[in-house]
This record gives sequence, C-alpha cells and structure tokens, in this order.
Amino acid sequence: MPRGTIRVAPASPFFVLLEIRDLHYAWPGAAGDCLAIERLDIAAGRAVFVHGPSGCGKSTLLGLMAGVLVARRGRVSLLGHDWAELRGGARDAFRADHVGYIFQQFNLLPYVSVLDNVLLPCRFSAARARRCSEGPVAAAQALLARVALPPALWPRRADALSVGQQQRVAAARALIGRPELVIADEPTSALDAALRDDFMALLLGEAQAGGSTLVFVSHDDRLAARFDERLSLPALNRAPTTP
Amino acid sequence: MKALLAIAARSAWNRRGTLALVMLSIALATALLLSLERLRSDIRSSFAQSVSGTDLIVGARTGPVQLMLYAVFHVGGATHGIRMDSVRAVAAHPAVAWTVPIALGDSHRGYPVLGTTTDYFARFAYGDRQPLALAQGRAFAGTLDGLYETVLGAEVADRLGYRVGQQLSLSHGLAAGPDEGHADHADHDDHADHADKPFTVVGVLARTGTPVDRTVHVSLQAIEAIHLDWAGGAPLPGVRIAPEHARKFELEPDQVTAVLVGLRNRVAVFNVQRFVAEYEAEPLLAVLPGVALDELWAVVGPGERALLAVSGLVALVSLSSLVAVVLAGLNERRRELAVLRAVGAGPRHVLALLAAEGALVTLLGALTGAAAAAVAVVAAGPWVQQRFGITLQSTTPSVEQWALFGVVLLAGMLASLVPGWRAYRLSLADGLTPRI
Repeated sequence: MPRGTIRVAPASPFFVLLEIRDLHYAWPGAAGDCLAIERLDIAAGRAVFVHGPSGCGKSTLLGLMAGVLVARRGRVSLLGHDWAELRGGARDAFRADHVGYIFQQFNLLPYVSVLDNVLLPCRFSAARARRCSEGPVAAAQALLARVALPPALWPRRADALSVGQQQRVAAARALIGRPELVIADEPTSALDAALRDDFMALLLGEAQAGGSTLVFVSHDDRLAARFDERLSLPALNRAPTTP
Repeated sequence: MKALLAIAARSAWNRRGTLALVMLSIALATALLLSLERLRSDIRSSFAQSVSGTDLIVGARTGPVQLMLYAVFHVGGATHGIRMDSVRAVAAHPAVAWTVPIALGDSHRGYPVLGTTTDYFARFAYGDRQPLALAQGRAFAGTLDGLYETVLGAEVADRLGYRVGQQLSLSHGLAAGPDEGHADHADHDDHADHADKPFTVVGVLARTGTPVDRTVHVSLQAIEAIHLDWAGGAPLPGVRIAPEHARKFELEPDQVTAVLVGLRNRVAVFNVQRFVAEYEAEPLLAVLPGVALDELWAVVGPGERALLAVSGLVALVSLSSLVAVVLAGLNERRRELAVLRAVGAGPRHVLALLAAEGALVTLLGALTGAAAAAVAVVAAGPWVQQRFGITLQSTTPSVEQWALFGVVLLAGMLASLVPGWRAYRLSLADGLTPRI
C-alpha cells in the first residue's frame, strides 16, 4: 500500500488544515443536493464546534471531511490534498494517517480488548505508529490513563465497558498518534450531564495537548462555549432544505 | 492487510458458533460428495473387475450381455448349453491356453450353484488378476470320492452360517433370490429337491466383492450325479439312485452352460472369437468380458449419475446456507465495518475481509469433510464389504475426488464473494453512519 507517499507540510498556527470550496454532495439516488457549501476553512490547531439540528447533514459533512464520502462537485482538501484526487487505497491510507474519528456510540470493536481498540489506528497507519514517540502500546496506555480508564479494564473486551467508558476509549483511539484532524460526531449524546462535561474537558484538553485540530458536531448548543470557533451548518448550507 | 487479518480472525472467533455450524454443513456436504464418489467409483471398478484374466467367454449363441449375465453374474438362465465336444474343439485351438467349463441351473437357498472343474480355482481371477483364495478348508477334490464336496463363496458362508464340515442340499432351478433370516436350515433342506444327495462343505473362499461370493461351487460330475434320476427338469417317478450308486454311472456331462477361455497370447483374441463364431457344429458366441461389462454398465449408468446429482444438490444447498448465514450476519456487522473504515480500512478491505472469512470457513469445512469421508471409508469399509460386497478402497483420493474437492472449494469461495460484494456496496453507501 502506498503509505507515506503523500508529503504534507508541517502544521503551523496559521496553516489552513481543512479547506472546502464550492462543495456539492447528494446521496446516491437522491434527486437534489443535501449539502452545498461555498467556502469553509478550518485552521490548524483550532477546536471547532459545528452546530445543527438532527438531519441537517452533519454526519454527511463529517464523512466528506474524513474522505469516506467524496463530493460530486467542488473540493474538500485536508492538508492541501483534495480527497477526490486520491484514489481508493491511497484515500484510505491518507485517512488512517491524518484523521481520528469518534462516533455517537458503538465506536469499538466489541470482540477486541480495550487496549487493542486504541491501537487500531496504529495498525492501519505506520505514520500514526511512528508519531507515538514512546511506542504505540505505551502511548495507548498513557492515553487510557489520561482519559481516566483504570488499567484493570485495559485487557477487557470492549463490550464489557459502560457507554461512558467506551466513549473515553473512543477518544483515546481518535487521539493516538496525534492525527492532524480529530472528528467527533455527537460523541456526548449518549452520556448524561456529568459524564458529558468530563468527556468534553478530556477531549478538548487532549486534542490541544496533541496539537490536533478538533471538529466537533452536535445539536447541543450548551457545549459551544468551550470551543474556539462556532459554526452553524444550516447557515453554511446553501442546498435547498430537504425533509 | 496483516492488521486486518488479525482483526478478521478475532471477529470470526467472536462469531464462532455460527461459523462452526456453517463449517459443519459444508463438511457434511463434502463428506457426502466424496464418499458417494468413492462408492460410485468403487462400485464401478468392482463391477468392471468381476472377472479378469479370462480372455473370452464362450456360450450358446445369444446376446453378449445375456451371456455375461449368466456366465459371470449367475443371473438368469441360458436357453441353450454348449456341447462338450464343442468345448474340446475350442480347447484344441492352438491359441487357447486353458478352458474352464461351467454349468449353472441349480441353487442353494437362492444362491446359484456353479458346476465346474478344479481348474476354476486356479484359473478364475478377479480385480487386478487376483486369483481366488480359500479362507477355510480346501478346493473340492474333483474325484469320485470327493463327488459330494462343495466350496462356498464368502457371502453364502457368512449369511447362512456355514463352516467347513457342515452339510447342505441343493435345489433344482434358480430361486427368486437368496432367502434370509432362517436359522433352521436343516428344516429348510428337507424341501430341497436334491435332498437325497447332501453335499459337505470342504472350503470357503475369501471375499472377492464379485459374484463369486454369492456362489456355491461343486464339480461338474456332481451336477450330473444329482440329476441322474431326473429328466426334463423333474424327478423320474419311481426312480431313485442312492448317492453311493451314482458313482457307478458315467458322470461326464454332455453339455455345459459356458466356457471361460484363457489364451496363450491376447493378440489372438479376435482370431479365436472368429473361430468360435464360425464354428459349424453348433451356433456359438464368444464375448470379450471387458467389452461386455462396459455394455452392461451402460445399462446401470443412469443410477450412477443420479447418485452424483444428489450429492451435487447437497453441496449446493450447504453453499447457499453459507451465503445466507453470512448475509444475515451482515446487518449486525455494518457498525463494525464502519468502525474499521473510520480507522483507515477501505471498502476493498471490507470485501477482502468477508471473502477471506468465507474462503477460510469453506476450506476448513471441506478439509474436515474430506477427513470425515476418509475415516468413514476406513470405518464403514468392512461393513459395506460384508453387507453389500462392495470393496471400498481407502487409497489416496482419485482424480475425480480431487476435482470434486476443488469444485466445492471454488464454489465456496465464489459464494463468499456474494456477501463480500454486498458489504462493499453497503460500506460505500453507508459512509460512516450505517442506516440500520
């Protein structure tokens, strides 16, 4: 696999990490676009809150940012590379190297241990493994300790954990190997208020410590205050509203 | 890719119950397919090897298949015999090495009685030129003293529980088939037509898997002796010739049913065949056993193909169960596949993951099935031999078996591409948020 073949300029504070221009996206089979964004820049090292009600295309936007979905028209580029210009395998390798992803829930492979779940990105990306200066396993353990998961749980199967614990493991997995971009898709919606605040503090702190840019999507406005930047997806989206 | 394989293994282990069931069903199908194929080829070969080393079979002019049926399989009756002077004329042909005359027409509790000479035990061969061997006792003497001696085929002795030294009586004509389940042969023998001249078992042949196993062997002279007081297929009223007195009569037969002929050199086989066909004193027919056996097999062939078709259907059903199980499990795995995609696995990895799993399950299933078939052949071999007289060979797999194994494997791998392809489509359509 042609990993590490794509050269990336080092991130500087004023470097535009993610650039969206004239984006149009429609789900296969859909008549009209569900997303149309003229322009969006996300600077490196920022924590960005994207707000929008359910069904406004938040997950679709994140899929486009992560290169899992590819725009029909326009460009979405990460670190200066247009996802659409990368071919199949190269796109997956690029995502493995530079993007960490946290889902709303069910982030983990249930049949794999907690530690192995955190190590997953390092298995798919040599670059992420290399960026763990103390080695992937030590890095994973350090991250698990920082997200306050007791070592007794590390060798357990991931499905033995509570939802709150699982989300913290998911955060550790997204952060391992310091990817340039960490995407979080409503990661707190399954957590209660106390757990949610803990989780937010953890995620923001660790993303900043690792130098990762965080794009956080939620319908919950109350979280917005913690972020450097706040965006409203309905305001950005020029596509005619679909039911 | 290595990372993915490790994950695939863990994932498969997590669903081991279901996968084991699929594997089992593939194993059963493979085992069935392979053992049916083994059975089929062994039935065919034990059929084709019912007689070997005999170059020609000569009898009264009739159809070649009919001549084979009664001369080798002892089924049905000959409408005409062949005169002994014709037999001597054939034996006198310079290319002929030996002749063994055989006389049929009587039976013992449904098993055919074959009258022949002591040469039969030396000349008759089956399989790959294997001679007959005695499991117990000796061949009949062929002398006047040993007139009422008989040598039994292995199945006759087994089924009826005869051992060397026991006595039995023959019946006139061929009964419908071997009767079974009577422990009281003494009582039964009272009804035998030739009960006045009982025979002593002097030998039992080793099992051959050929019609020899179902045959009672006596001398030609004995056949004459038991029919001395008979005429036209019925006892002569008022005439009784005691067994000892029979020895004083001329016991050389005038005619026999057929003659097995061995040649000095096989090249002469068509010369001798023509000589027999053009023999003027009597209309005769000479058949090459191999050719006639092939003709006979062509009649039985469709049954053989039906066996293969049934096992093919079984294999098809279990492969579709593989596809069904993996497809049914796919919905539950969409979340798992999305997680893998988020950490850098591509849709092609997903396809590879599912196809590899299916291929591995098929391979394990097929191997288990092949092993089970081999074990079954070894374990059930003696029973099948005893019950059906078919010798199952536990040798290395035949070309056909390898081919079948390959077909199962290939079909399994192709079948596992179906769910793999679906997973590929789903992971493209789902993005990272499966719509379950």
